[in-house]
Amino acid sequence: MGNILLISENDSIISAYRKLFDNKFYNFNARCTETSIFDLIEVESPDIFIIDQNIEILNLQLTIKKIKTRLETAQILLLTDGYNVDDEISKIVSGFILKTYSENLIISTINTHLKTKENLDKLSEKNKDLADSLYRLNVLYNTSSQFAGTLDTKELLNYMIEGLDKSLSFDLTCTLSFGFEQEPVLIINALYDISEELMSALKLRTILNYKSLFSNENLPFLIDETNLKIIKNIKNPNQKFTFSIFQFDNIFAPIDLGDKFFGCIEIFKENPFSTDDAAYFQTIIRQVSLPLKSAGLYKEIIEKNEELQKLERVKSEFISIVSHELRTPLTPIKNALSILASGRCGNLGENAIKFIDMAKRNAENLTNIINDILDINKIEAGKMDFNYKNINIHSVIENVKSNFDCVAKEHEIIFTTDEQQNLPEIYADSQRLGQVLTNLVSNAIKFTPKGKSITIKSELKNAENINSNPYFENEIKTLSGNYIIVSVIDEGIGIKNENLLKAFDKFTQIENSLSRKVGGTGLGLPIARQLIKAHKGSIWCDSEENVGSSFHFAIPVSTENIEIGTIQKELL
Amino acid sequence: MKKILIVDDEQDIVESLKFVLENCNYTCYCAYNGEDGLKLAREIIPDLIILDVMMPRINGFKISRLLKFDNKYKNIPILMVTARTQEEDKLIGEETGADEYITKPFDLDDVVKIVQKYLEQDN
Repeated sequence: MGNILLISENDSIISAYRKLFDNKFYNFNARCTETSIFDLIEVESPDIFIIDQNIEILNLQLTIKKIKTRLETAQILLLTDGYNVDDEISKIVSGFILKTYSENLIISTINTHLKTKENLDKLSEKNKDLADSLYRLNVLYNTSSQFAGTLDTKELLNYMIEGLDKSLSFDLTCTLSFGFEQEPVLIINALYDISEELMSALKLRTILNYKSLFSNENLPFLIDETNLKIIKNIKNPNQKFTFSIFQFDNIFAPIDLGDKFFGCIEIFKENPFSTDDAAYFQTIIRQVSLPLKSAGLYKEIIEKNEELQKLERVKSEFISIVSHELRTPLTPIKNALSILASGRCGNLGENAIKFIDMAKRNAENLTNIINDILDINKIEAGKMDFNYKNINIHSVIENVKSNFDCVAKEHEIIFTTDEQQNLPEIYADSQRLGQVLTNLVSNAIKFTPKGKSITIKSELKNAENINSNPYFENEIKTLSGNYIIVSVIDEGIGIKNENLLKAFDKFTQIENSLSRKVGGTGLGLPIARQLIKAHKGSIWCDSEENVGSSFHFAIPVSTENIEIGTIQKELL
Repeated sequence: MKKILIVDDEQDIVESLKFVLENCNYTCYCAYNGEDGLKLAREIIPDLIILDVMMPRINGFKISRLLKFDNKYKNIPILMVTARTQEEDKLIGEETGADEYITKPFDLDDVVKIVQKYLEQDN
C-alpha cells in the first residue's frame, strides 16, 4: 500500500487526486502548511510526495530539502505545467508529473516511483545490515588485538565483556570466573543497578548454570553463595533493574580452555537476540579462550621460573655454606700437622714425618677441591670478581714455575720454560691467570711419567696464525687481533681425540687407566675456561695418545679487543 | 714479653695459635666470643690482636671498629681472620681499620711472620 502526500493549496487539484488515490490501494493525504506537513511525516512517513509547483505559502526548495533529510528514500515528484521549473528544484526532485497527464499516466508514474521507493528501502536495509556486520567485524578485530596484547586474566575478561557490550549492547552480563587462583569470582556488568535480592537471585542462577554444565560428573571447583566474590560494574547507578530481567532474552556459554574449565558467561538483553548475535557471542567466547589458556601457561611458567631461581639460590647458598663449614675444621687440622712437622712438640721419627706429610698433602688437596667448588659456584652465580691491570705474562709464568719446581723434581720430571722475549703487556687479572696456569701445570704433572718433560711456552701471535685441531675451531674463530699464547706442553699419556672437548666439561674426568691414581673434582679445566673467557680469550688443547698433550690459552694484547669502558674505569 | 690477644670461637684454632705464638715467646690471652674479646682487649691492652670475623654476639668487624675509633686502643695492630673469601668482606675489614687480613685455612707460619712484622719493628 502506497502512502501518498499531496502538497498543494489548489482545491481542484486536491479533489482530483483524492479521487484517484483515496481508495484501498493507497493511503492519501493532502497538506499545504509546513507545520501540518511535518506533523504528518512524524506519524505516517509517506512514500511519495507530490508537490504543486504553484504553491505560494511554502519555500519549495527548503521544504524539499527538509523532507529529504527526514525521509531519505522518499520520492518527491513535482506537479508542474512544464514551464518555469526552477533549475535547483529540478535537480533535487525524483521526478515530475505534468498537469496535462491523463489519469492513467499519473497512476502509472506514481506506481513506478512506489516501486523505486520499495527497492531503495530494501537496499538501505541491506546497507544497514552490512554496516552492522562491518561494525561487529571491527569490534571483533579490536577485541582480538586486545586479547593478543595481554596475558592478564582480569584484563582479558574485561576486553571480552567490552567487546560483547559494543557489539550486542546487552543489558546485563554475569561472568563466573575461577581464574587461576581457583577463587570463584562473579563479575556483573549491568546497565542499571541491582538490588540485593536480585543479586542473590543472579548468584543462585549462575551457580545453577555452572552446575548444570557438569550434570553427572564431578564439579571442577566447589562453589556456593558464601565463597563467591562479586565484582559489580554499573553504567547507570540511578536506575535499578527489577526481577523482570529474568524475562529478558538470554544466552549462556561456558568458557572452556580445553583441558581446563575456566568459567561461564550469561548475557541478558530486553530485545531478543538474533541468530547472528548468538553466533557472534560464541565467536568472542572462543576467541578469549586461547589467550586465557596462554595466560594460564604464562603464569605457570613464571611460577616455575621463580621456583627454579629460588632453588638455584638455595643451591648456591648451600654450596657456599657447606664449603665454608668444610673449610673451618681444615684450619686446625693443617695447624696441628704443621706444629707436629715443625718439631715444636719434639723430634719425630722418619715414618712419623712421612705420615704427617701425607696428611698435610691431603689436607692441602681437600682445601683445593673446596676452593674449586666455591669458584665454580661463584662463576655460575656471576659473582666472580676480577682485578684487571696491565701486566706482563712473564711474571705469571715465573711465579707458577717456581711454585712447581720442587714438585717436578720430586716426580723426576724435566720442567722448563720457553718464553718469547719482550712480549707486550696484557690487560688481565694476574692472580686468575696464575690460577689457570697452575691448574694446567698440575694436570700435566699428574699425567706425565718419570723422566719425561713439561714446558711452559709463551709467544705473540695474530689471530690469523692461530690454529687448532677441528674440535676447537669454534673456540678460535671468534678471535681477532694480537694475542699472547701460553702453552703447557707435556709428554704424558695424552687424550683420545674424541675426548678432547669433554676435558672442559664440568665434573668430567676422562676415563683412562690412570683415572683412579689421580685425584681432583674435574672442575679445574671448566674453571680455567670460564676465567679465560672472562678475559675475552680462548682455551683449547691438542693431544696425541701416548705422546703428550698441549693446553693453550690466548689472551688479547693490551688496548686491543678490550671494551673502552673497562680501560677508562681502570684509568679513573 | 709482648701480649697477644686471640679471639676466635673455634677453640682448636685458638689453641694451635696459642701454642705456636707462645713458642715464639709471646704471652697469649684467649677469648672465645666477641663480648669477652672486647672486654679483655680493653682490660689488658695487648700489643696485637688476632680477631676472627664470624663470632657469636659481637662479630670481629664490630670489635675492630670499636677499638680503632677509640684513641686509647687505636694503635693496637689487628689481624683479621675469616673463612669467607668474598671481596666485600675484605673491604669491610679495611674500612673497620684492621691492619691485616688472612683467610682460613691459613698457614701458621704466615701468621707468625705477620705477627713478627708488627711486634719486632717496634724494637
